Amino acid sequence: MAAFSPELVARVDELATRYPERKAALVPAMHLIQAERGGWFSDETIRDTAELFDVPDMHVRGMVGFYDMFHSQPVGRHVVRLCKTLACKLRGSDELRAHIREQFGVGNGETTEDGRFTFKCFECLGHCSTAPMMLVDDEKYEDLTVAKLDDVLRGLE
Amino acid sequence: MLEHADDPAQKTLEVYRRNGGYQALEKALREMSPADVTEEVVKSGVRGRGGAGFPCGRKWKFVPKTDKPKYLCVNADESEPGTCKDRQIMERDPHQLLEGALLACYAIGAETAYIYVRGEYPHSIAILEKAIEEAREAGLLGKDILGTGFDCDLWVHPGAGAYICGEETSLLTSLEGNRGYPRLRPPFPAVEGLWRCPTIVNNVETISCVTHIIKRGGDWFASLGCEGSTGTRLFCISGHVKRPGVYEFECGKFTMRELLEDFCGGTPSGLPIKGVFPGGSSVQVMTNEELDVRFDIESVQKAGSGLGSAGMMVFDGATSAVDVALNIAEFYSHESCGQCTPCREGSDWIRMLVKRFLDGGAGTSDIDLIHTVANYMDGTTICALADAMAWPMKSLVEKFRPEFEAYVAEKATA
Amino acid sequence: MSKTPTVTLTIDGREVTVPAGMNLVEVARRAGIDIPHYCYHPRLSIAGNCRVCLVEVEGWGKLQIGCNTGASDGMVVFTANERVRAARQGIMELLLINHPLDCTICDQAGECKLQDYAVEHGSGITRFEFEKARKPKNVSWGDRVVFDSERCILCTRCVRFLDEVAGTDEVGIDLRGEKSTLIVKGDGKLTSPYQMNIIDICPVGALTSRDFRFKSRLWFMKFTETICTTCARGCNVVLGSRDDRVLRMVPRYNPAVNDHWMCDHGRLHYAFVNDGERLAAPRVEGRGAPYPVAIERARTILEDAADAGILAVASPFMTNEELFAFQGVLDALGVEQRYFPRPTGEGDDLLVHPEKCPNARGAALAGFTEAPAEWPDREWGALLHFVPREGADLPATLRAQKRILFSLSPRDADVCFPLTTWIEKDGTVISAGDHLQRLTKGITYEPTLITERIVLDRLHAALESGFEGPDTAAQAFARLVAAYPALEGLTWQKVGLSGVPLRLEGAPA
Repeated sequence: MAAFSPELVARVDELATRYPERKAALVPAMHLIQAERGGWFSDETIRDTAELFDVPDMHVRGMVGFYDMFHSQPVGRHVVRLCKTLACKLRGSDELRAHIREQFGVGNGETTEDGRFTFKCFECLGHCSTAPMMLVDDEKYEDLTVAKLDDVLRGLE
Repeated sequence: MLEHADDPAQKTLEVYRRNGGYQALEKALREMSPADVTEEVVKSGVRGRGGAGFPCGRKWKFVPKTDKPKYLCVNADESEPGTCKDRQIMERDPHQLLEGALLACYAIGAETAYIYVRGEYPHSIAILEKAIEEAREAGLLGKDILGTGFDCDLWVHPGAGAYICGEETSLLTSLEGNRGYPRLRPPFPAVEGLWRCPTIVNNVETISCVTHIIKRGGDWFASLGCEGSTGTRLFCISGHVKRPGVYEFECGKFTMRELLEDFCGGTPSGLPIKGVFPGGSSVQVMTNEELDVRFDIESVQKAGSGLGSAGMMVFDGATSAVDVALNIAEFYSHESCGQCTPCREGSDWIRMLVKRFLDGGAGTSDIDLIHTVANYMDGTTICALADAMAWPMKSLVEKFRPEFEAYVAEKATA
Repeated sequence: MSKTPTVTLTIDGREVTVPAGMNLVEVARRAGIDIPHYCYHPRLSIAGNCRVCLVEVEGWGKLQIGCNTGASDGMVVFTANERVRAARQGIMELLLINHPLDCTICDQAGECKLQDYAVEHGSGITRFEFEKARKPKNVSWGDRVVFDSERCILCTRCVRFLDEVAGTDEVGIDLRGEKSTLIVKGDGKLTSPYQMNIIDICPVGALTSRDFRFKSRLWFMKFTETICTTCARGCNVVLGSRDDRVLRMVPRYNPAVNDHWMCDHGRLHYAFVNDGERLAAPRVEGRGAPYPVAIERARTILEDAADAGILAVASPFMTNEELFAFQGVLDALGVEQRYFPRPTGEGDDLLVHPEKCPNARGAALAGFTEAPAEWPDREWGALLHFVPREGADLPATLRAQKRILFSLSPRDADVCFPLTTWIEKDGTVISAGDHLQRLTKGITYEPTLITERIVLDRLHAALESGFEGPDTAAQAFARLVAAYPALEGLTWQKVGLSGVPLRLEGAPA
């Protein structure tokens, strides 16, 4: 197995002490692992994660497939999550989505050609009264307009 | 609950305490027994604020006497469309939540609590973890809290993007390190939850109420609001209103119309309100004619809908009800965990049926078909996600039937 | 041990008394009512995901799944009223909307629970007009099991079987909602020696046998209830054949022997019946001969060899009736040297028995001794030998002036009689745990073949005038009962299709 960084392993071991069973630390650990391994879960990363938790690799694969925040394909340097659910839709998220398609050439799940960001439509992100909103990695942008969205996305490196 | 939320320093322990924080915890640990704490909560009449509205104190009493460890899970998976209130508490006044969690643990005999925060709330996670650290350093968390011999640890546990994990048994399964599949009941979580041990799952806002209930008394809480919906609640209003936002009100003091047209200023477009989802999207849609209903749990239920999570979404006269229907259908179809037949198959079928109205090719019989499939899902599944889809979909095709029919006619002639 | 408390409830108007807490699917079964179900299996944990077993319990509001509802006193249950029927019809319609129209090429046809319930409980029409979900098809999970994700209804029986019964936990679920699909751990190949049981328990054609794939439609096949004879377990099976060719075996439920399962090795071990090199008629000195000629030749050899000594080696693949007939021949000749080999190998803690033959116990009961590791160094006048189907043959150094063999395939001998396989005759064997079980004839390999028991009895008659062997299987069994106290009171009928336990002394473990 390719090794995870000692820092990550230490952190995972520490997280595991919070639960009576090590397996409960799997989701928190998978966030850290995904960040360390380029933002996605390759077959190798799945195997390594499985070994770290002594679970079958298919269990980890099933976790990646179940949870929207885990990626089974390579992603760009940033992940843009635009909310598409009703409150955001009522305040114009459809237009924002169309703008992204037009200006950056990506649809749901696609990565820009220059690898700057992967665009994903997400369901309700919990900022309904400041809709429309998006998450770019761990940053939030609320009360979006086309201009504001454009600004943020162009500013990504 | 939002009393001090506008102060950015409220999230620090120092300011929280200065504003009266952790007094309830001191009172409970020093002067009350766990049963006393539970009694106050029962007296308060506080009902779950996650959407189901189950009386909180009654749920706590389901925990059996046993040597097995007990757990508290705070449900911070807030993913119900239209709902953004728990995040206000977590990001702006987190210690209120921590204190409530400690009180709840004390009452039910739990020594460990997990706050399951949806993965898409990185700010909440960071702020909560910082607050937990502050509390730990100050001896408010961990072993021998305030020197009273009470041990309790709080941990933040992130989700990773699945609405279904807000369902309490799915939350437990996810927390244990699995795909978030809901569980069959019985047994109920209060008897067999995390790792087969008694577990209470409560919403963030509910737990935050507990802090105030213990500080000022169950009777005080019950004196606010109205019968069946005591205390105050956080209401999220979004969509086509001039003043969207999260507001704290007492229940039952106004009608929905007053809230939306007066307080929130009505629609930005000036057109009349066409439809409202009063409690997140998992309830029946209400039309303009139905808005003169008092905004509390019982009244809204009598009117054929539900207060649910109090995440109100408003759409105006220019919005196509069919568009709305597709958006909702896409949500549930995407979020269905796929475990049981009616939801897995029915949710996607309904989505495709609704889409066909917009794409052209639907017939009038499809309106009834949507209704039929929704009925197949209503009351036949392991968890309530299927019901949560069936109710809005049925009500949309019932109350806005002419719009669906118009699509049929329009596309037929196009 | 205290008796389980019982409760009385009413189901479809019928009153039944059952153990408290028994699930309603089983309660209904006891009352003679069949509640349709997919994900429920009496040996597996409750999943409750198919929702097909929904029933109405009076006063309970929503419909309840029968498999997870325990019987309580005074319960009133309806399994077929209008409300239940409507719900069931709805679930059936939903199950079928994405199910591919594969019936014409699907091996499950004829034993498919989706077909059966669709006919019985479905509406008969579909209103789904969209393109069905596309998922992986014809996926090999190794070389025994084939998976078709489009047909899969995600009942998770296979997941639970491999986890709970086989102990290999090697199938899981990937993706979510409508896209959910099954995956196998590691390299995608199943490892369990019991993996093919998931084919049996899969209610639809999502899991099929590579070995049986496209061989035959079910309704052209003949089914024979017999047992497997690859090891001493004697798992009960249903053997499927067509035009006297064995096509497959599947396990048959027997709580005393194999429960619902069998191992893959035994299941697949039948090719030698039709495709092995086999004798179709006796041979005398290498040339074909009719039975009477061969029997006469054998008689003379044996009578001449009596002084020089006859070595008799039976086979633990022989039935009790054959062994008894053999015993009779040897008694008539006064042969004392009577042995049988006992091939052994690896066993496991589920079904596989380390004894790789079906009737070592029977051989011991018939007075044969387990073959020594070293044969005495002498030349025999004649060797009378039943060549076992499996296991090591006699050493080539064993010297005998004359050889009379019973063998499946042609062998070098003075007289060589053909053997019939276990599916070509009726008889009994004593399986592990001293459980007496029946073999049932299912095919005829060659119409002119005579079973060994009759050949031996005719040989006996040639050696001892006045001796007459029995005709039918039942009569042959009755002859055993008369001779062995352990079988007292039994008849061929009583042994039946599930066998009977025996109490034997001194039998091999």
